[in-house]
Amino acid sequence: MARKVAEQEESAAREAVRPSRAQASSGRLFGLCVAAWVIPGFGHFLLGRKGRAMVLFLAIVGMFVLGLAMQGQFFSTGSGSYLHTLGYFAELSIGVSMPVATFFGYAGGNTYFVCSDYGTAFLIAAGMLNVLTILDAYDIAMGRKS
Amino acid sequence: MVISHFTALVLFSFFVSVVFAVLSRQTLREQLIYGAKVFIAFVGIAVLLGWIMLPFA
Repeated sequence: MARKVAEQEESAAREAVRPSRAQASSGRLFGLCVAAWVIPGFGHFLLGRKGRAMVLFLAIVGMFVLGLAMQGQFFSTGSGSYLHTLGYFAELSIGVSMPVATFFGYAGGNTYFVCSDYGTAFLIAAGMLNVLTILDAYDIAMGRKS
Repeated sequence: MVISHFTALVLFSFFVSVVFAVLSRQTLREQLIYGAKVFIAFVGIAVLLGWIMLPFA
């Protein structure tokens, strides 16, 4: 009997930590993923993991800023090259950082600059890391991860 | 900003290691250990491959 009560309490505690499928509605999940995409780490912030969110934000935005400082290239979809299109989507994954950089006068990099290739690698990697961050926030919201 | 290839490698490895560690481990201790391992692996393997490729340069 005592064992059954303990099991019930353990199960209730587990349910309290893990949001149920009903709670994690598709609209809420979509909003969370959009928030996590727009600002790196914001999805974790909304889930209450503020320290983790701050570290992710600093790492991803820091990488993006270094990419800009090294004159990394902004790709576009109009070049006709599949690799450039993939690069465009990778850089778009950083969220609002790319339009903000363009708004403040970043012309899309200088391919003749000596560190431009390093900068482009930093920009693309920052976007890919933000994709991992979005997926992690999604998993936490779905209760797949503690 | 002009930096050397090695500095770019170290910076890249650092940021990627931080994100990998934060996403894949739960406690701070585990994150520090895993992040250090990933960072050393990134830098070490890149330097090792550089030495291996040197005779063919």
